[in-house]
Amino acid sequence: MAVAAVAVAAADAVGAGAEMMPASQDRVGIGWRPELAAGILEHLDEINAIEVLADDFFDAHDREIRALKTLASQVPVMLHGVAMGLAASSPVSERFIKPMAWLYERIRPESWSEHLAFVRAGGIEIGHLAAPPRTLQNVECASQNIRRAAEIVGAKPSMENIATLIVPPGSELPESAWTAAILEAADCDLLLDLHNVLANGSNHSYNPASFLNEIPSERIRGIHIAGGRFISAPDGRSRLLDDHLHDVPDPVFDLLQQTAATCPNPLTVILERDGAYPPIPELLGQLRRARLALTRGRAQQKVPLGMPV
Amino acid sequence: MNPASLESFLALIYADPAARARFKADPAGEAQRAGLSPEEALALSSLNWSDLQLASRSFANKRRAKSLSKRGRGLWQRCLRALRLAS
Repeated sequence: MAVAAVAVAAADAVGAGAEMMPASQDRVGIGWRPELAAGILEHLDEINAIEVLADDFFDAHDREIRALKTLASQVPVMLHGVAMGLAASSPVSERFIKPMAWLYERIRPESWSEHLAFVRAGGIEIGHLAAPPRTLQNVECASQNIRRAAEIVGAKPSMENIATLIVPPGSELPESAWTAAILEAADCDLLLDLHNVLANGSNHSYNPASFLNEIPSERIRGIHIAGGRFISAPDGRSRLLDDHLHDVPDPVFDLLQQTAATCPNPLTVILERDGAYPPIPELLGQLRRARLALTRGRAQQKVPLGMPV
Repeated sequence: MNPASLESFLALIYADPAARARFKADPAGEAQRAGLSPEEALALSSLNWSDLQLASRSFANKRRAKSLSKRGRGLWQRCLRALRLAS
């Protein structure tokens, strides 16, 4: 608690200075969760964007849709899907895509996103995001899935890198090359989850900073930040779990600064928190730290923001 | 190597504890019974059992969390209504 308080106070102090700098096109926001609703609505002056879990609204009543539209009229809203499984190595049924099209049409959000993952195969629902074998065949099928989803929804998705405890068997490509190949083949942007990069780097022995250098920075427009915890695996090794239940750790802010230093696009950074909710001022403190990291990264940038590269 | 076949097998051992136990006891045999090629069975042999256990537990937790998350959905509508009334 003391450490968190000091970190927030420090971010407050420096963040106040950062706000004196020229306005940037970068934005910071938070993932919409019912438990955070009151705090978010009270502090929209400090929150530039909100990401909504689309799947929570696929069976929503009219009044829920109206409420979401009201929210979207007050602050930029992005829809985030978790159950399409667009990076599967087989075609994704339209029945998993059409609900997003339905919601997108009604809400008219700023953008939508999904994950570089499969979530079902052979008629079995895994229940969450799993990493597919990183092969060229997968790249082809995943990119076709993404293109088809873009056609059905009427807008291209940004695709998010996932955390995985398992190196997918049968993989031919490293994660960075596989990610870049899908983005290129599908012609879509990357929603870069920096805690997922940190977790995969920690769990699979690669340098997260190097990973960032290997992916196409010109395709990054959105960023997720979150926290997790180290757990002991049954074999005694330590594993970093991306549970979204903890504060954003320092290395994630370092990676954010690195990304801001190299990415030519305006960035929207979303803080993801899925439980063990702290008081809203602590979450706002993490948003201020994100702003600070963006500001510092932009100050290091060799090419001015928005210039063609 | 057929990544779709591998995904089907992975989904099975992620979601089904009994299939996972059979795979632990006889990885090559279980892969063969699932119709995978020797090459695909060999690829599966690289799976770290400890990581597989952790990942499966994480997936199970996510499934449980999802079933709970819908309960809180009405809360924010009340917040929005309050906001509209206040403005």
